[in-house]
Amino acid sequence: MYIVDVKTQEHFDVDITSIESQDFKKITKKEYFFNWKLEKNYEINKLIRTDDSKILGLVSIERIPEEWRIHIRLLSVSVDNKGKQKSYERIVGNLLTFISKLAIKEFAELACVSLKPKSTIAQHYIKTYGMNVTGATLSLELPEILNLVKKYDNGK
Amino acid sequence: MENNKSSNTLSSPEFGVDSRYKSLDKKLSDGKQLMEARLKRLNKLSRSQVINAKLLQLKLRMEDYLKQPNYQEGNFFTNFLTNYIDTIYDKRSMFAKDINITPVSLSQILNNHREPKEEFMFRLMLHSELTYKHICKFQKKTWYQVYYHEKICDTMANQNEWRPTEKKHVKIKHAVLK
Repeated sequence: MYIVDVKTQEHFDVDITSIESQDFKKITKKEYFFNWKLEKNYEINKLIRTDDSKILGLVSIERIPEEWRIHIRLLSVSVDNKGKQKSYERIVGNLLTFISKLAIKEFAELACVSLKPKSTIAQHYIKTYGMNVTGATLSLELPEILNLVKKYDNGK
Repeated sequence: MENNKSSNTLSSPEFGVDSRYKSLDKKLSDGKQLMEARLKRLNKLSRSQVINAKLLQLKLRMEDYLKQPNYQEGNFFTNFLTNYIDTIYDKRSMFAKDINITPVSLSQILNNHREPKEEFMFRLMLHSELTYKHICKFQKKTWYQVYYHEKICDTMANQNEWRPTEKKHVKIKHAVLK
């Protein structure tokens, strides 16, 4: 997977891995919008450039195997990557694709990734990632997950 | 949820999402509602979409296996291969036909009664390229890596079996090393 430098359009390969305990020192609310320490009991993954240790995006999840589902609890980019002045594109798309791959690996065609954004930003996720709407819950299932993997995962 | 002050700060849609459930009841009721809707959508999936999901799952599981440390025993290569064939064919003999080998030799490979020949590995690689072409990126070397990873794991895990016998045949008496 890769991200794109907004200014130069240069591509950079990324890694998405579990966060380590020392990362919590760097993950401040100012930089990453939420109190990530409250998520310590859940799986948290970070997105970094393969050639740089700075965390560009974070996601915490809860696996719900009895519903063949992974629920995204928190997701955020770093403050530098928010809004029109952002440094890189595709951070959120890569994080969603990573979680979708976890769901496919566990549940194959039954896979589901869910999240519950505020109504003001739900439309963005529906439009950009093709999410299904069920009440206030948005979800990625088949075939959306396959489309996302095709678009974001270059197999590296 | 975050407070109002931070909500305003976070109005840009791509900053992120806080979708933590406020209670177990809410999680269960949302899950139930979602499941009902999902089951309806699942019924509309085509056979090829289901097959593509299973093939993607297989690829991801092979990649996971390659990341695991050595010393894990098992017939991983043939298990993955059986899964691959059974996902895309109704009969294994049809796969044998498609890669121009006899059903008997395929059966022997799948049952671990013979090692796959090099031609088999070449054809499997080519077959997978065609299969995965429209699903996701599939590294050409994946089958080879799984095959040899398993060999390494088996060899290292079974040292107690082969080491005493083979050790008798090895010395460095004639080497330049002292």
